[in-house]
Amino acid sequence: MFPGILFAGAVGLLFAGIDRKLTGHMQNRIGPPIWQEFLDVGKLFGKEDITPTAANSFVFNCAPLLCFGAIMAVMLLLPINSSQPVLTSVGDLIVIIYLLNIPAVCMMLAGYASGCPFGTIGSSRYMVQLLGYELAFIIAALAAAAKVGWSLSLSSIVSYQAQNGWMVSQVALIPAAIAILIAAQGKLLRAPFDIPEAESEIVHGSLTEYSGPKLGILRIAYDIELFVVAAVIVVLFFGGPVPHTIYGIYIPGVVGFLIKCLGIVVLSTVIRNIAARLRIDQALKFFWTFPTLLAAISLFLVVVT
Amino acid sequence: MTFIIPIGPQHPALEEPAHFRIEVKGEEIVGVDLRLGYNHKGIEQGLSDRSYAHGLYLSARVCGICNSTHSLAFTRAVESVAGIECPDRARYIRVIDAELERIHSHLLWAGVAAHEIGFTTLFMLFWRDRELSLDMRELLFGQRIYASGTYLGGARVDIKEKDIPQLIRTLNKLEKSVKHYIDVCTSDRTIIARCSGVGVLKKKDARELCAVGPTARASGVDFDIRRDDPYAAYGEIPFDVIVEQDGDVFAKVVVRLREILESIDIIRQAIDAMPKGAIRTKFPENVPENEAVGRTEAPRGELMYYVRSNGTNKPERVRIRTPSYANWPSVRPMLVGGTIADIPIVVASIDPCFSCTDRVTIIDTKTGKSRIMTKEELRRLRK
Amino acid sequence: MNANEVAQLIKRYADDVKIVGARQVFAATDKERYIEALTALVDNDLRHLTTITGVDRGDNVDVIYHIHCGESLLNLKLSVPKTSLEIETVTDIFPGATLYERELMEMLGVQVKGHPDPRRLFLPDDWPAGKFPLRKEAKK
Repeated sequence: MFPGILFAGAVGLLFAGIDRKLTGHMQNRIGPPIWQEFLDVGKLFGKEDITPTAANSFVFNCAPLLCFGAIMAVMLLLPINSSQPVLTSVGDLIVIIYLLNIPAVCMMLAGYASGCPFGTIGSSRYMVQLLGYELAFIIAALAAAAKVGWSLSLSSIVSYQAQNGWMVSQVALIPAAIAILIAAQGKLLRAPFDIPEAESEIVHGSLTEYSGPKLGILRIAYDIELFVVAAVIVVLFFGGPVPHTIYGIYIPGVVGFLIKCLGIVVLSTVIRNIAARLRIDQALKFFWTFPTLLAAISLFLVVVT
Repeated sequence: MTFIIPIGPQHPALEEPAHFRIEVKGEEIVGVDLRLGYNHKGIEQGLSDRSYAHGLYLSARVCGICNSTHSLAFTRAVESVAGIECPDRARYIRVIDAELERIHSHLLWAGVAAHEIGFTTLFMLFWRDRELSLDMRELLFGQRIYASGTYLGGARVDIKEKDIPQLIRTLNKLEKSVKHYIDVCTSDRTIIARCSGVGVLKKKDARELCAVGPTARASGVDFDIRRDDPYAAYGEIPFDVIVEQDGDVFAKVVVRLREILESIDIIRQAIDAMPKGAIRTKFPENVPENEAVGRTEAPRGELMYYVRSNGTNKPERVRIRTPSYANWPSVRPMLVGGTIADIPIVVASIDPCFSCTDRVTIIDTKTGKSRIMTKEELRRLRK
Repeated sequence: MNANEVAQLIKRYADDVKIVGARQVFAATDKERYIEALTALVDNDLRHLTTITGVDRGDNVDVIYHIHCGESLLNLKLSVPKTSLEIETVTDIFPGATLYERELMEMLGVQVKGHPDPRRLFLPDDWPAGKFPLRKEAKK
């Protein structure tokens, strides 16, 4: 079960809870306790399962499950405890990037299948935003891979970093690190890029018609995605899981890994709380200039040197 | 192919129910239709059924945020009709009451506007400072929200000497906060991106559509009842009317935040200049036949009460025209040509108060039927 | 424009011109002249129509146009008999009058001819036609 559903679920929900608590303090209020997310998701599972009549029920019902499945698959492909993940294959990185897009596509289909205008608009915004952040994300990831001689296997990236220090400590890769952090903010639909789910404009975007257990599954999938995207960034740029021995006590790699992931999540939370939401056209323009350029610069520098 | 988005009657962007039918092509808005009437309460009819004293309380309940101003405008009209003038100290108390309410209303609005553009942190911070203004209202008038300090013939309560130092301290704290917020709003990139150039109301449209209040002043229309038709003690207190030229949401934000600073200044001047003396004169029970108009500058703009009396203790007719009611036609030129993402902030920028807009008559219990109508309307839209 | 200037301007189109207090002018006009009166105001750049009030006076309905004139307020009254309860729209002179005229139509039953959008404003759709809530007959 490790690093299976229980681990991923627990960590994801815990990180989301920490995010909410931190947000509360940044907003000069107390905020919910850090296990609030567990309670909320538990409550959702206890509710009645409703499918609106106007919705295309097959797609509507499958979307949450596909989302969840894809995220769990990515969990299994990540090196969490040591430089060996649970599953490996050739071209890990590409598979991960592909799998990370499945939840987004599922949400879009769900939005269209909801039969409500807010879902449609949320989905179309999501598509536009995907075009924005994905390019920056992929180029930044490729820059890290290029450093290791174009190896797309995550274990080789982690091993390289264990010997040569974190990727981000190499000057050529700093722009890529910044770019991937910004792209991650877009991927996770957090302010200033929470446009597809803009609550004050389109209720909840693609998720408007979801309630009860289906919404619970989507919530867990979203929280695990928070952990997973942070994990991917840590693996690519911040060293991945590295075991340490402090004062003679062996600390397995996963502890350091989780701490680093938490650091990325906290950074994302801080950005989320100090920015207003952008409009979709502004977001797209922003993504295609700033982060994409940074990532491309990194890639260029890595290839050239 | 145009696509219709229903905003409301239930929608996170609206505090009160209204129904906008927005026709969109992609993200661009091409047509707007507005339905009002969900908060119809029957106040105009209710006022002619009640005595003037009772009507004072009812007029304050037209709106939760502008209650002081409503009762002040009603009082102004009724005192004109009856030919009564209130004592000098009461006039200054009314000024302090009205300006405290303006500060509260603008801070509340600023938080709501921040929420509409997705900036929840700023929303929370504005509302934290709004608590300071509510504390002041409670200190002076005994209530946080429904504090209306006016009474027919004078003021409801007197301002005690011992409360004034606390008031001044809170005002100073608030002034520092608001100056900081003005800096934040004028320099933060995401706020400027969402508010600048959005929801523009040109000066010509503002004048033709008879817009009022900060909505009009942000478009360059220099119109403020406190200066043009002074009431209470405004004629004796110098202050600036804040006018901006751009007409977009950003201009409206700036106008309102700067008006808070002006209000703080007005209150300080009023406290210094307030004469001692009685706060009330006798108001007759029956008012001779006459008609008059009382206008005030509510936080949202020009508020007008027309009162006609008939010799009894109940008015013959009371007509209320609230500022939100006057600003609705201006929403259409602001929205058309914009995008869906701008709808919440543009609608919020006129500071709409549906409670104020819908206060005309329904006599019997048909209000229940209007709720059912709402659901039918939504069902019709779905198909 | 202050109250005296407004009174001078409106004398040609109205009778019974009174200046009340420092800044209010009351005047009564009739159906033939009210459009000219309002047009004259707009020609003098007085474009702000504060509101339109309707009062049921028994045999007549008083339609009062309140126009803000800079430093004063003009209240122009038009008395319309209930036997022929119709007036022309003023939305071509004051575009901001559109909502007020709709309210006048539904609450008092005044027919406003030529209004671009004569739908109900505040009353629900299933309110019976012919019942006007602000009429005296409608009181219990």
